Amino acid sequence: MDERLIITDGDVDTATVAAYERSRRELVRRGLLAAGTLLTASSVPILLGVRDAFAQADDDQSLVRAAIELEQVAAEAYQRLQGPLGGVARLFRNHERQHEQALTLALRQMGGSPPSANVQARLASLPTGDRRAAARFAIELEQTAVRAYEDAARKLRDASLMKTTSTILGAEAQHLVVLRQIAGQDPVPAAFERGS
Amino acid sequence: MDVDRRRFLNLAGLGATGAAALLAGCGNETNKGEGPIAGEKSQESATGSIESDVNDVNVLNSALDLEHEAVAAYSQALKVLRGANLRYARTVLNQERAHVTVLEHAIRGLGARPNQSRGTYNFPRLTTEDAVLRFATGLENKVVANYIDAIPRLDAAELRGTIATIFANEAEHLALLNGALKERSAPSAFVTGEAQA
Repeated sequence: MDERLIITDGDVDTATVAAYERSRRELVRRGLLAAGTLLTASSVPILLGVRDAFAQADDDQSLVRAAIELEQVAAEAYQRLQGPLGGVARLFRNHERQHEQALTLALRQMGGSPPSANVQARLASLPTGDRRAAARFAIELEQTAVRAYEDAARKLRDASLMKTTSTILGAEAQHLVVLRQIAGQDPVPAAFERGS
Repeated sequence: MDVDRRRFLNLAGLGATGAAALLAGCGNETNKGEGPIAGEKSQESATGSIESDVNDVNVLNSALDLEHEAVAAYSQALKVLRGANLRYARTVLNQERAHVTVLEHAIRGLGARPNQSRGTYNFPRLTTEDAVLRFATGLENKVVANYIDAIPRLDAAELRGTIATIFANEAEHLALLNGALKERSAPSAFVTGEAQA
């Protein structure tokens, strides 16, 4: 099994590579690298960044801001995956944008302001590859989202926010079913969807 | 011993893979907001803790009732479905059974008795695959809506996390059913348990 980190686009700082190395075995375990998906140095850190943002958030505003950033990343990723994934990518991009809008509204009602992450630049080198490879990358993205929203279910304090994020969690889980089918995987492999 | 600690230890005593799944997603936090979330009791007193336990048991038993119904429904569905639909129904049935197991353990972990299956359910007599799939869709929507309502009502953070993993799986079942009915698998940006379009 080739576990090497393949950096294709340069300009990656040491901390980023170190962060990737810490998570490399987890990614390999989940089959992302073993499956042959080429992860560029720009796509891996953005997934780790989203995950870390959720892990560090411990109040409702921070959690919602992290969720908005996640949705921004997801929407932009699907925008760029339209080539291999076609209408599925467009549909899911629209879903992610609706999630971002709902979360932004909730954040503003709490008196917060949404993040303005420059996700376009951060996803500039997103690999696309063929349809299955694109689906595998999208699966990784959706699994990150599922884990994040399940984390939110534990951490959030506001009941209304819990309901909103739950309905979003359900949509991300349904995305996983579609993407797994495209990738040739079992669409519903476990009784407890934990994004892994 | 505080309620969360006791809950954790009770849950940690579970056997079987379902318990592993239950624990794997668990933190050890309670709702730490300035005030109780909707429908909940304060945890500041022993009385409040007991009331919170009772509340969580009621929420979990409500979910368990629907899981029992789903097990019964999919058991019936196996008699009508064929091919890929039959294979998926078997998978879903096993997953619903796993939910039952984990919910029962969670309820026992709170020192309460889990609701039993009613044994018989007045399901309509369905003879075509399409009718069975549509009936299952309606039931899954009911289950999904119940979990969305349940999550904020649970006091224990680790239980909310566990229920979220079950809820996400039920949403996946809906996607499978939508696909089997030749409809869009993930039709909506928000899975609410209302009929999706």
